[in-house]
Amino acid sequence: MTDIGLIAIGAGIAVLTGAGAGLGMGIATGKAVEAIARQPEAGGKINALLILGMALTESTAIYGFVISLIMIFTMK
Amino acid sequence: MQFNMPSIGKWIALVLSLAIGVAALYFRARIPQPEKADTGFKETKKKRNLLMMAGVLALWVCSGLILGCFGSEKGAFTVSISPARMDIFGFSVSSSVVMTWIVIAVLSLAAVLIRIFAIPRFKETPRGLQLVLETAVGAINDLTKEKYGHPNEGLASYFFAMGALFIGTAIVELVGFRPPTTDLSLTFSYALITFILINVFGIYKRGIKGRAEAYIKPNAIIAPFKLISDLAVPISLACRLFGNMLGGMIVVELLYYALGAFSVGIPALLGLYFNAFHPLIQYFIFINLSLTFIGEAVEEVA
Repeated sequence: MTDIGLIAIGAGIAVLTGAGAGLGMGIATGKAVEAIARQPEAGGKINALLILGMALTESTAIYGFVISLIMIFTMK
Repeated sequence: MQFNMPSIGKWIALVLSLAIGVAALYFRARIPQPEKADTGFKETKKKRNLLMMAGVLALWVCSGLILGCFGSEKGAFTVSISPARMDIFGFSVSSSVVMTWIVIAVLSLAAVLIRIFAIPRFKETPRGLQLVLETAVGAINDLTKEKYGHPNEGLASYFFAMGALFIGTAIVELVGFRPPTTDLSLTFSYALITFILINVFGIYKRGIKGRAEAYIKPNAIIAPFKLISDLAVPISLACRLFGNMLGGMIVVELLYYALGAFSVGIPALLGLYFNAFHPLIQYFIFINLSLTFIGEAVEEVA
């Protein structure tokens, strides 16, 4: 196997972080929907917290993405 | 640029779309503009609008076909994570730096023009530009007040200026340049300013002793972990912003590559999302996290 093939496999493994981020974001959204259904008047505050939590959760996926990009474009 | 003779099917599609477009516009011109008192005013108006839409759509398809049939072939798909460098008076300067200078100049000019011509004409009831400006400034002020504890004019105006620069540099992609937001050095400098602000506000509010005490507050054992998590803040902020913006740019570039020479109009819809709406969300998340960290550094540890 050539080097570029191994780099491609490594980049693919690196973006598997997206699975965890997707799971986490799904759970967070579900809980937020439950909370709003229970207490609709608190929707604004829950929304702001949800967006902040989403940003923090999403960062794991973004780290994997950045690492895979660095692997593809800087390793030759 | 080499000239490829299109196949017979492409010729038929080209001529057909041109004929439909011209015919629709011709029939629209033959229907006279209806008066409001006439009977069947709504139907005539609807018919005219439909013909106008059909004509414009057919001519649009025709222009796309002309570009696609006679354009040259594109090369392989390439994206680099660092922008091209250019030579200015013997200095090797990144193209994103030059683009940021241009955006800064445009924004400063706009700010001066608004200050001289628009602000003296502001009225009691806001309309137009005044409404937009007051809403934006009010939103940033409220967010700062909510996260930081009490209103801080300097912090709010810094984040407003940063937002104007960030969204201004992201919108550059709509004109066809590589946006400086996809450069790690730009996002890292934003994150570094946030890191400096965290420490400056922490020391200003609680003193060097108070800031140092926060590290050993519950127990001295966790001091190294707290130090590492503090140092990770700028890296995580910079990588998050950079990854999001570069991801958006790669999606748009892939669409351009997939459509080849036929990319007329369709990428504009995706570009509006990835170059106008997406940076706004990312900027909101960035200032939200920055203000949260600053508020955390300022407040007393029990």
